[in-house]
Amino acid sequence: MNHSVGNAPEIYAVLPFYITAAFFFLLLTIMLFFGSSQFVAHYFEGKTLALVHTAALGWITMIIFGAAYQLLPVLFECNLFSSKLAFLSYCCLLIGTSMLIYTFWNFIQGWFMIIGGILVFLSSLLYLINVLLTAKLSMNLKVDNFFIISSSFYFLVTTIIGVLLVINLKYPYFNVSHLEILKIHAHIGFVGWFIQLITGVSVRLAPMFLLSRSEKKTLLKYAFLLQNIGLLLFIFDYYFMGSSSRTYLYLFIIALGIANWLLYLYDTFKNRLKKKIEIQMRFTMLSFIFLTGVLLIAFCILIFSNKQGIILYGVYIFMGWLSALIIGKTFKTLPFIVWNYKYKSIHGKMKIPMPKDLYIEKWIQYQYWLFISAMVILTIGILLQLIYIIRLGLLIWILIAILYIVNVFKVIFHKVQIHNDTTITNN
Amino acid sequence: MILQLQITDPYFSDKSKAITALQTVIDPELYINVIDLGLVYEIEFTLNQELIVTMTLSTPHCPLEQAIKNGVNNVLSPIFPTYNIIIHLVWEPVWNFSMMTESARNELGY
Repeated sequence: MNHSVGNAPEIYAVLPFYITAAFFFLLLTIMLFFGSSQFVAHYFEGKTLALVHTAALGWITMIIFGAAYQLLPVLFECNLFSSKLAFLSYCCLLIGTSMLIYTFWNFIQGWFMIIGGILVFLSSLLYLINVLLTAKLSMNLKVDNFFIISSSFYFLVTTIIGVLLVINLKYPYFNVSHLEILKIHAHIGFVGWFIQLITGVSVRLAPMFLLSRSEKKTLLKYAFLLQNIGLLLFIFDYYFMGSSSRTYLYLFIIALGIANWLLYLYDTFKNRLKKKIEIQMRFTMLSFIFLTGVLLIAFCILIFSNKQGIILYGVYIFMGWLSALIIGKTFKTLPFIVWNYKYKSIHGKMKIPMPKDLYIEKWIQYQYWLFISAMVILTIGILLQLIYIIRLGLLIWILIAILYIVNVFKVIFHKVQIHNDTTITNN
Repeated sequence: MILQLQITDPYFSDKSKAITALQTVIDPELYINVIDLGLVYEIEFTLNQELIVTMTLSTPHCPLEQAIKNGVNNVLSPIFPTYNIIIHLVWEPVWNFSMMTESARNELGY
């Protein structure tokens, strides 16, 4: 069977996301350090909202968009519908996120904040359109594709609720508590957008990176059903009936869905042909430990409902689970994207560097140990409510971000190296 | 499907040269050449001066697809300047681990 073949998306549909996300990551760690008093404050504060949105939109979603546009052709086995649409979503996300962060940090309620929210909503809409039209081009939809599609819908819903929330801040019109809607907004983003997207991408990429496969596809079907049933029940029950002990059940259903996904990944890992575990994959494994921590903390919050638990919950989601995953995966995707762009036409003609030569691998190893140290110190600082311990952990985070941004820029601004003296002749 | 070369093949010498050349085309993710990975299914020389390489990739619609195809074309063109190089990308049979050479598996630590 001979398929017509396609190309990788245009470079402008991918690289701007990686560059911008690296800046936001550094900005986030600096903001965290200077806003460290928020770690002992209530979570509904302007500065906390600014920090959360810098992490969720500027850092995590920004890089997820870039990686997704690069990987949608692999996931759907067809070309990306539109690189131009992807770039437009980048512009909306960049401007909207910047406006939101600025207005949250200074707590300026009004149209500047609302327009920021609308721009982020537009970026989620453009992303969804690109995903759906790419899926339409695909002739072979699999269960992992449904995770990608559902997560795009959830992101759109998250941003719509976000816009409604910022409007309500200026012109109150909700007949239910603003904080209750905020919780729904946050959890659709966490379970619907982040978890489902990462489930869909990981179940396709893990076998690729590890040279493995799992026959246990049923686990993925259960994962999809359970994650969605748990989330939808939570949303509707929480909205119409308010907080209740039924939340335990919904959290348990979601956790069961996550367990099915992790079991599938474990089976893939067990059957891998590539025995050597790269540092990037170690980061991924570490991220799953933090995801398990997130679920345990969620149960603890439901039982004990204390402030430290809520702060730790957010820190484990953004800095523990998602940041570990992204730091590792950046160097499993970005060097290949840049290498492909710069060397694809001369591959085989002469001796050229390989993707792993485009960054400093040792720095990722340093980041790995710094990451573990920072998270341990932060956990102790938050639990004991000791601000100077928290600041120490955040200083390490700034160091991690500096190493990250320098390594990312080393890849992006890599100059083509051709060794003419070693040109391959094959005669 | 593993690429096989018979000494009785009229193009034995040319096919050997092609295989040696293709052993320099490295998969950028695995750092193993396309021959040892078992990605090349068939090499065919036709009377119409065509050199047809039938091959696959470890992942369908891999973003590095064009780079690998260029690599194949770039190593074969200088050796067979009078031939038109045609790369035929196929997805059946689906590539699997058993198509790799033992040395490639060893390199992966298997």
